[in-house]
Amino acid sequence: MLEIKDLYVSVEDQEILRGINLQVNPGEVHAIMGPNGSGKSTLASVLAGREEYEVTSGSVTFKGDDLLDMDVDERAHAGVFLAFQYPVEIPGVSTATFLKSSINAIRKARGQEELKPVDMLKLLRQKAAELEIDPKFLQRSLNEGFSGGEKKRNEMLQMSLLEPTLGILDETDSGLDIDALKVVSDAVNKLRSPDRSFVVVTHYQRLLDYIVPDFVHVLSKGQIVRSGDKSLALELEARGYDWVREGAVQ
Amino acid sequence: MAETLQTNKTDRKSRFYTLFSSLEQSLNGQTSRADHAIRRKSMEKLAQMEFPTRRDEDWKYTSVVPVLKPDWSLPSASANDTHSAAAGEGIKLYFFNGMLDQEVSDLDKLPEGLLLCSIADALEMDTERARVEKLLDKEVELAENAFVPLNGAFASNGLYLRLKKGVRLSSDIHFVYTNDGSAQATMINPQTIIVLESSSEMRIVESFNGQSGQTFTNILNRFEVGANARLEHYKFQLENKESFQINNTKAWLNRDSVYSNYNLDLGGALVRNNVISVLLDSNITANLYGAFLGVDRQHLDTQTFIDHAFPHCQSNELYKGILTDRAKGVFNGKVIVRPDAQKTNAFQQNSNLVLSPTAVMDTKPQLEIFADDVRCSHGATIGQLDETSVFYLKSRGIPDAQARRLLQLAFLQEVLDTIEVEYLHDYASGLLKAKFEETK
Repeated sequence: MLEIKDLYVSVEDQEILRGINLQVNPGEVHAIMGPNGSGKSTLASVLAGREEYEVTSGSVTFKGDDLLDMDVDERAHAGVFLAFQYPVEIPGVSTATFLKSSINAIRKARGQEELKPVDMLKLLRQKAAELEIDPKFLQRSLNEGFSGGEKKRNEMLQMSLLEPTLGILDETDSGLDIDALKVVSDAVNKLRSPDRSFVVVTHYQRLLDYIVPDFVHVLSKGQIVRSGDKSLALELEARGYDWVREGAVQ
Repeated sequence: MAETLQTNKTDRKSRFYTLFSSLEQSLNGQTSRADHAIRRKSMEKLAQMEFPTRRDEDWKYTSVVPVLKPDWSLPSASANDTHSAAAGEGIKLYFFNGMLDQEVSDLDKLPEGLLLCSIADALEMDTERARVEKLLDKEVELAENAFVPLNGAFASNGLYLRLKKGVRLSSDIHFVYTNDGSAQATMINPQTIIVLESSSEMRIVESFNGQSGQTFTNILNRFEVGANARLEHYKFQLENKESFQINNTKAWLNRDSVYSNYNLDLGGALVRNNVISVLLDSNITANLYGAFLGVDRQHLDTQTFIDHAFPHCQSNELYKGILTDRAKGVFNGKVIVRPDAQKTNAFQQNSNLVLSPTAVMDTKPQLEIFADDVRCSHGATIGQLDETSVFYLKSRGIPDAQARRLLQLAFLQEVLDTIEVEYLHDYASGLLKAKFEETK
């Protein structure tokens, strides 16, 4: 589904990612862990299409297509979803308007008809209820004045509505209390299916108690220095990131 | 060079003298009436004044040369009646090229307590004459610019409205102007005088709809809002892309009164609003709100002036604009807080998005505060769309152009949200969306 080959990425001439290789097959959940500054968020941002990141070499294909050649909105149409670490506040655009525009834009790009307003409203209400989001939230300006937890719930609401084939979570768990963390994990677990994959970028092992990954990769200084199953995350938790840093040198 | 300029100026004014002579001839002996005396007096005033130039501080960013260039004709009597639709239900007054269409207007269903008649007729009434003279005759003498006497000289269909003490109008009054210059370049001079007696309440909605050809709408509004009275005033400006509008609106506000002015500027080649609020006593509120969207080579200028002379008054101003292509926007917000105006709250904000390198915005907050116990704030910003927000919307599949439109609409939403009346809020949103659609 997602194939990253020998990916080098720079920001303002500083090399952040130095030869990333990663293959994500349908149905798999991959966790990317690593200390601050290891390049975790850069990887997520490049996959989402942020312009300030320059890919100097390597390739990323998504379902066989060149992902790096797609515009940001085209990636969403193709089925890529990035849950932001810092969702943007947009005063004046109601959450409902935003969600409707998003759903219909994606439907349109896929050659489907726009949802009827009645069906749209029903869908929004139903998904909001599943995520324990007060329907009043839908009338509020997008993320404006939302707490950290509310913003992340809103990201999960978007993901549930858009039903992507690849979900990328960029430190979605950072700063969340256990209750909010459970809401986020439940949303992901509900969406898990044999043809949907997730890349979960996180700093803390705790999230992986709730979203159990198939693979864990440890990123350090722009490279994947260790890969393993979920036990690797537990080992990291016990021994700290210094242990893999040393490992990288050996 | 200087001589040529001088000649041009005299030339421009002399064309109005000629136009005035032909107007007098067409009046067939009605030149002895009181309203004509005001016309003559206005003409004299115009002769003494000069049209503003960019050397005048208040007109530094707006040249009226294009407005004075065409050889304007007055509206002909044979007006057709293809009227634009009103913004909503209420008492509808339809004007074609400034002339009231009595057949289709709701003149027969005026509510109790509202007097509505022509200014000419009001001048003949013993009960009204003094008020009209005060708000028209005197105003021509005090004229803030030459367009005021120009209106005084050529307005032929001025309306006078007086709402009696304690009456709250349940129906809104719609002034629906449809302007068309396809037969000839036409100058239209709408003139409205409104008197609200104490504790009365009224909502008026002006809409200016341009059809084809070139027109110049030169508005004169003079309002007197009585003690404890409330006047809500909306203006939706949709002149066509060749046409001009100069709007001189002044509200005299008495004790405990509220005047709210909402202005949406979407049309016109060159538009200038002068909105003046004079606070004559204490505990008065003046709210001035406006949104504008300039594309192509549109030039949209708003000047506000709020004169605080008494204690415990407040004024709120929020103006937001978007400019793209080669459009130009101007905002000048003048607020004076005189020495006696203690405990004044004056708030002013003007925020703008300039979306192309060839679009220009000039903004100038101008607060002059002579009292020491006041709360006054002002802010002016000029910026671009936030690219982080564009990215966020695009990451959810919304195409670039649509994402930008959504954010532009959101930017102006703050102004639209000051409109509490639902049908007017929806009407304004609809007009704005339509303009975005048309220019995408």
